[in-house]
Amino acid sequence: MFITDLKAISPQLTYNAEFLGGEKTSHEDTVYHVIEPDYMEFIPKGLLRRMGKAVRMGVGAGLPLVKKHADLDGVIIGTANGGLEDCIKFLNQIVEYDEGTLTPTNFVQSTPNAVAGQLALMGENRGYNITYTNGGTSFENALLDALLLFEEGTNKKLLIGGIEEISDYNYNIDSLSHKYKKEIVKDTELIDSTTPGTVCGEGAALFVVENNADSYLAQIKDVAQITYPNEEDITQCLIEMLNRHDLKLTDIDSVMLGYNGDIDHNSWYEYIENALLVHSNSYSFKNLIGDYRTCTSFATWLATHMLNGETSFNKHIARRVSNTDAPKNILIYNHFDTVRHGFILMTK
Amino acid sequence: MSRVVVTGIGVVSAIGNDVASNHAQLKRCESGIGKAKHFTSKYVDSLNFAEVKLSNEELKTKLNLTGKKGISRTALLAILAFKEAIHQAGLSQEEIKSYRTGFISSSTVGGMCNTDELYADANLKGTPSEYVGAYGGGEHTLRIIEQFGIKGFTSTINTACSSSANAIMLGSRLIKSGRLDRVIVGGADSLAKYTVNGFNALMILSSNPCKPFDNQRDGLTLGEGAGYLVLERADLSEDKEHLAEVLGYGNANDAFHPSATSDEAFGPCLAMERALESAQITSSQVDYINAHGTGTPNNDVTEMFAFHKTFGTIPPYNSTKSYTGHTLAASGAIESIFSILSMQSNELYPSLNCVDPISTYNTTPIQSLTEADLNIVMSNSFGFGGNCTSVIFSKAARCL
Repeated sequence: MFITDLKAISPQLTYNAEFLGGEKTSHEDTVYHVIEPDYMEFIPKGLLRRMGKAVRMGVGAGLPLVKKHADLDGVIIGTANGGLEDCIKFLNQIVEYDEGTLTPTNFVQSTPNAVAGQLALMGENRGYNITYTNGGTSFENALLDALLLFEEGTNKKLLIGGIEEISDYNYNIDSLSHKYKKEIVKDTELIDSTTPGTVCGEGAALFVVENNADSYLAQIKDVAQITYPNEEDITQCLIEMLNRHDLKLTDIDSVMLGYNGDIDHNSWYEYIENALLVHSNSYSFKNLIGDYRTCTSFATWLATHMLNGETSFNKHIARRVSNTDAPKNILIYNHFDTVRHGFILMTK
Repeated sequence: MSRVVVTGIGVVSAIGNDVASNHAQLKRCESGIGKAKHFTSKYVDSLNFAEVKLSNEELKTKLNLTGKKGISRTALLAILAFKEAIHQAGLSQEEIKSYRTGFISSSTVGGMCNTDELYADANLKGTPSEYVGAYGGGEHTLRIIEQFGIKGFTSTINTACSSSANAIMLGSRLIKSGRLDRVIVGGADSLAKYTVNGFNALMILSSNPCKPFDNQRDGLTLGEGAGYLVLERADLSEDKEHLAEVLGYGNANDAFHPSATSDEAFGPCLAMERALESAQITSSQVDYINAHGTGTPNNDVTEMFAFHKTFGTIPPYNSTKSYTGHTLAASGAIESIFSILSMQSNELYPSLNCVDPISTYNTTPIQSLTEADLNIVMSNSFGFGGNCTSVIFSKAARCL
């Protein structure tokens, strides 16, 4: 599956690609907020006002792609929580007004399928349309669906993406589960942090993917996922995926790992990095964007640019770089809370 | 390409806690809609609901989970129907744990059915509740993965009211692609202040039991429940009974409005057309349609238009939401199971509460329990966000 176009809204200046020009935005907080573009240029004001942040980011990144590619066959979105802020705003109304007369806007905006629905509506796209809400592997689910549609030959060109918003509420809820750091850590020191907890990120990264393309930016070869694995399971899961493409562990020249600064999450990444892929260059990405359930969509955005020859941001993400050749096979590995684990295999 | 068959079904709804009791009540033509006993909301007195007739404690007792904390009602309903489905399919421990076995669930409200606890936790009021890690839409999926040791592909879908129809579709495609040998698919949703107030704010809840396809219909009735189907590769399950074959499916977006279907019914028509195409059949081969049939003024008239456009001569149809209410994400799976029961027993169940039917196309929904030779059935699910999906089942070529 070929990536032919992409757009990301993230805690870096990715929307207009200043980030690729070497401009890095520093974060020193327990939340990394996205830098939003001026949506008014392409989303009508009245509509924009009603959109929650997840919908706004998803439409903001997706609509330019939908408008540019009139021949899209469908839309596939992964978002663990959708518009959680609107959801809790509506919930607050329910409790505070004792189930009185409420306005439905927050309710309609909060449903996770609102982004894919809105993109279909605004792009007048009546094709295949689905939303995955599978926690930390929602984006991986979306990728597999796209791979299947291309294999089946029913679709040729799709819009896919991963979206998650930070709201005070989801921050609170995840904080109660001790998800985030108690202390402030600089982004440059996040990955090597020795305390529990991570930082909360958000973003929307959307891609135009095609089953055949003469000119393209990168390919997504495959995706794999597993839940509650042990080391043996995760090894088997990775090797089976590589076998499907006649690849060996040594063919992976670069690995992007979901290190998030949580000392209790590191062992999985260390195992992949040092036991299975010791020969590979290794990179991090969450020091740029924080951690969220569909963050591998941003890693895919980064890997696409790396495979396309971009090196400007390497210094921000390099962990172990022994080979300076252009990357050929990039593996993205991430887990969320050690429960849901996903692999994405990319190549030029 | 492999054929995909159904080897197990499990259901819990307002008309029964298992497949047999759901089937029995369909045959008795008795609705499960009435006053809620377990659900707490200001609207319990003024509105009707289609509630599962078990409290959370009773569900936990039935599932040997007494004393376990942090399990939402959505998850409890899901586990009950899941267990029945895998039991009927006779899946062994090894099969369930195999990498070749997948699990695809769906929910709209997920753990948000614990509205008051979520309110307190999100606003940091008081000590964290037992549900603090269990509000997400995918949490009930995780609960089942953990309890049953599922290692293969897993997913959770939320396309609103078409969610579990899409789970059936994705599961079938994964088997056909060769990635899986078997997959448990379906969905669960429980009554929640969240959805009741949401639908109420949209003014699409009826104060009476819903009247699908009636001229006087004035909204839907919310229900709750769960439905799961075990799908297997036909050639790998020849030793067991095939309840039905998944013949085709179609997914489309109406691209018209976040919470209403277009007058032209673009989405419903395309979903049905794509399903017919994928099943490689003509519309005249469909013997029965389990309609989406919510009972809202908008849905039923647009769905009828879509029937007219797709079928010309409309086959027998009903809305079993007149029995179970609208079970949201679970509806696609529950109604597929009912369609399979219809086909297996050659019975058509009447659509309830339709006394003054929409007569535009000179047809009425099924009026009484009738016998019919059913070989191919269609189940429709249309949701908010324009998400429309149709699934087609056929009588299994081989029954034991």
